[in-house]
Amino acid sequence: MVHLSSFLLKTYHGGHIVIRLAMAGHKQSNRPFYRIVAAYNKRARDSKYIEQLGSYDPLPNIYNEKLVSINSDRIKYWMGCGAHSTKPVAKLLGLAGFFPLHPMTVTETERHRALAELAEEAAPEDGVKQQQL
Amino acid sequence: MFQVITRSTPVIRLLAPRGAVLVEAVRGRKTRTDPKAKSKEGRIKTPPPVDPVEMVVLRERFTEYDLIMRALRLEFKEEMLRKRYEEEVGSLAEERAKQEAEEHRSLMTWNQEENLRMLKIRELRVQKEVEAAEIKKTEAAILREQAMESFVKEKGEEIMRIQEEAKSFINLENLDQRIEEALDNPKNYNFAIDKDGRVVKRTVLQCRLLQT
Repeated sequence: MVHLSSFLLKTYHGGHIVIRLAMAGHKQSNRPFYRIVAAYNKRARDSKYIEQLGSYDPLPNIYNEKLVSINSDRIKYWMGCGAHSTKPVAKLLGLAGFFPLHPMTVTETERHRALAELAEEAAPEDGVKQQQL
Repeated sequence: MFQVITRSTPVIRLLAPRGAVLVEAVRGRKTRTDPKAKSKEGRIKTPPPVDPVEMVVLRERFTEYDLIMRALRLEFKEEMLRKRYEEEVGSLAEERAKQEAEEHRSLMTWNQEENLRMLKIRELRVQKEVEAAEIKKTEAAILREQAMESFVKEKGEEIMRIQEEAKSFINLENLDQRIEEALDNPKNYNFAIDKDGRVVKRTVLQCRLLQT
């Protein structure tokens, strides 16, 4: 790990840098908005970070899209310096194509699909039963 | 309520997926002595059921994922180091350094020229000031001399005047003569003066005498 004690005035003993989602302002409203941020591990989620590397809007817009922005050059730099990424960030970047697809996304979709199939099987059976009756 | 286990308790990890995190129960909001909630008295906590087939598949997927992530990290590190090396030692860096050195040299020469120019201007100015100061000094000396001369002349004239007056002073030899003269000529200082400056020597007594 590269020694990054020249950043900011607060130096941490044994801390490392993470790339994570931090809630951005708008505290009183029912409207979350996340920043993809490189920060020290020990810092609070929304407090001072080292660099902003993108943003993520969890609520879909009028075209039913969830907008994500990624600064790939700087993410590469920080990963090269030894930053870890949290699970949601890893999942997002996996869906974006920057990282390989996270295993949990695949398993979640499989489970979802299995449940949907079960529901489909249950629905036509009910329909057939009603027809029979 | 739950806290991440790091290294303390030995737990069987056969079924757990490789990339997952183990949690352990830890005191949260309530203390040791607080009673359990009524709705939770008979509750037996069971972990969510694990599908062994899915678990095996997940384990494989996680090993693959970790491998790829490690490789990516090393790639990024290499790229970052190469970029840094290029910046510091690359061809562009040398050119930049050369350009900066040239700029520095030209600026230094310009600065030197400016210094010389300012020096010349300053010398002229200083010379002029010195000359002006000298002229002032001479003028002041002249004035002083003139004042001295006039003073001396005045004093001389005063001396002459006093010497002249000294001739009419009363000395021991003139004393008797002067007394005689004074007694012989009685002077009458009794007169009136008008606002226009007309002197009137006739007093009230004299008028009365003249009338009668």
